[in-house]
Amino acid sequence: MNAEISMILSRVIELAPGIREFWLVPEHGGELPAYSGGSHIVLSLPLPGGVRRTPYSLVGDPNDRSKWRIAVRRQEQSRGGSAWLHESAREGQAIKVSMPANLFPMSRLGRHHILIAGGIGVTPIVSHARELARLGHSFEVHYAHRAPEFGVLLDELRKLAGRDVYCYVASRGETIDFRKTLSGRPLGTHAYLCGPQGMVEDFHKTARDMGWPDTHVHSERFLAPPPGETFNVKLARSGREVAVAGDQSMLEALEAAGAEPPFLCRGGACGQCETSVVACDSTLQHNDLFLSQAERNSGRKIMPCVSRIAGGCITIDL
Amino acid sequence: MSAAAPSIKSQPVYHALEWDAMGVSHLLFVANDDKPLLDRLLAAPPRGELTVLTTDTTTGARLKSTEVANTVVTEGLASGLEALESMLRNADMGLRLYLVGREDAIWQAAGIAARYGMSSAEIRLFQTGTKARPVFCVHCRAMTRGVRTNLVDCSGCGRTLFVRDHFSRRLGAYMGFQIDAEEPGVKPPVEVAYP
Repeated sequence: MNAEISMILSRVIELAPGIREFWLVPEHGGELPAYSGGSHIVLSLPLPGGVRRTPYSLVGDPNDRSKWRIAVRRQEQSRGGSAWLHESAREGQAIKVSMPANLFPMSRLGRHHILIAGGIGVTPIVSHARELARLGHSFEVHYAHRAPEFGVLLDELRKLAGRDVYCYVASRGETIDFRKTLSGRPLGTHAYLCGPQGMVEDFHKTARDMGWPDTHVHSERFLAPPPGETFNVKLARSGREVAVAGDQSMLEALEAAGAEPPFLCRGGACGQCETSVVACDSTLQHNDLFLSQAERNSGRKIMPCVSRIAGGCITIDL
Repeated sequence: MSAAAPSIKSQPVYHALEWDAMGVSHLLFVANDDKPLLDRLLAAPPRGELTVLTTDTTTGARLKSTEVANTVVTEGLASGLEALESMLRNADMGLRLYLVGREDAIWQAAGIAARYGMSSAEIRLFQTGTKARPVFCVHCRAMTRGVRTNLVDCSGCGRTLFVRDHFSRRLGAYMGFQIDAEEPGVKPPVEVAYP
């Protein structure tokens, strides 16, 4: 579980102000594993304070087995990961990388596909476009970004989708109207969005209002673990107790202490790290997108990648 | 109303049919009449456009006189399925499909809907009329329709098939396997199991 491969940062490309593309090649040569459109990898970044693991969508050609490509926007409120990639990362540097996983797969039964990107959310959309173009499926791309210079990877999208790429540039006063994008679509159309939270919510609400079933509406969103109060986490099986700092996630603290809890997305989306709560002497703060309301209310489950407690001590079944 | 508890997980269970309020248009396909059911449904039609497509002339004659829905009547299942296909070809997202009738008819209709990319979230099925089963021969892959007995001679290879409860949604049929493969000629008595 959680197997990593050693890779070398072979290229760093400035795509736009605050957006960089990185190429990763296997340190010891050989072919990389194949992946499907929409997949992400988790980079273990060697930050000064310790390893920081962060997920990024793959933007390259899944058929290119010699390198993996990611594009990273420097987050204004970076917890260190994107800032390190923008300031400290150098070509030739070694980085440990997880195997690809796909939490945002395409529905192959779709008769038409509408891909929608908001800002740096374009990354999984590009790999979907590559796969749909390769399969010869009917698709179109809608790409909302802040200003013309932030339309990164647009040339590649145009090569894949030709004229069926529609841009919405905020600096020109353009916004995407989901009601228009989703209306009059033939049965069997699937829509996919990767973008900021407000956009994701608006997309799902509009689609539902227009009678689209959830089976045909797909989105991907990774959360950064929100900071909070310091607390202790106790491992029920070994009796060990680990302190979690305010700017650290429970998962990160466990890893720093040498434990190896399971994880996949590290962003509250996939459910891989779901853990049973044995005891908690304060309040659970659920920040994930995975647990149902009933599971949250039960107080018996927690997702250590993004969720925490309001101080005190939590005992988990690990 | 709904079927008895299934003997096997794959066997369909049909719940009392209701309109899906999340849909913005609705297509009700009726292969076998069920007056109380249709009266109840049409007494409280859903929001949005409603079309009834029926291959049952009794249903057709009754609904033609109402104003609740656009009613299309076709003669026989084959032309009904053709009409359904052409409607789905031109339909937009937001449609909900309701399939009412014998299992053979509603699962053939569901197969067409799946080819047009509809998911189970957009389709509701309800069994009315005969319980006769479509049977898929696991040996020669031929379909034998309208089977009312526990054993049936395969329309493709002639083997005597035992009709299982194991149902394939993709094929819209129950699985049939040779009853006397182990001991040729040894067969239980034939009984009407699916009236």
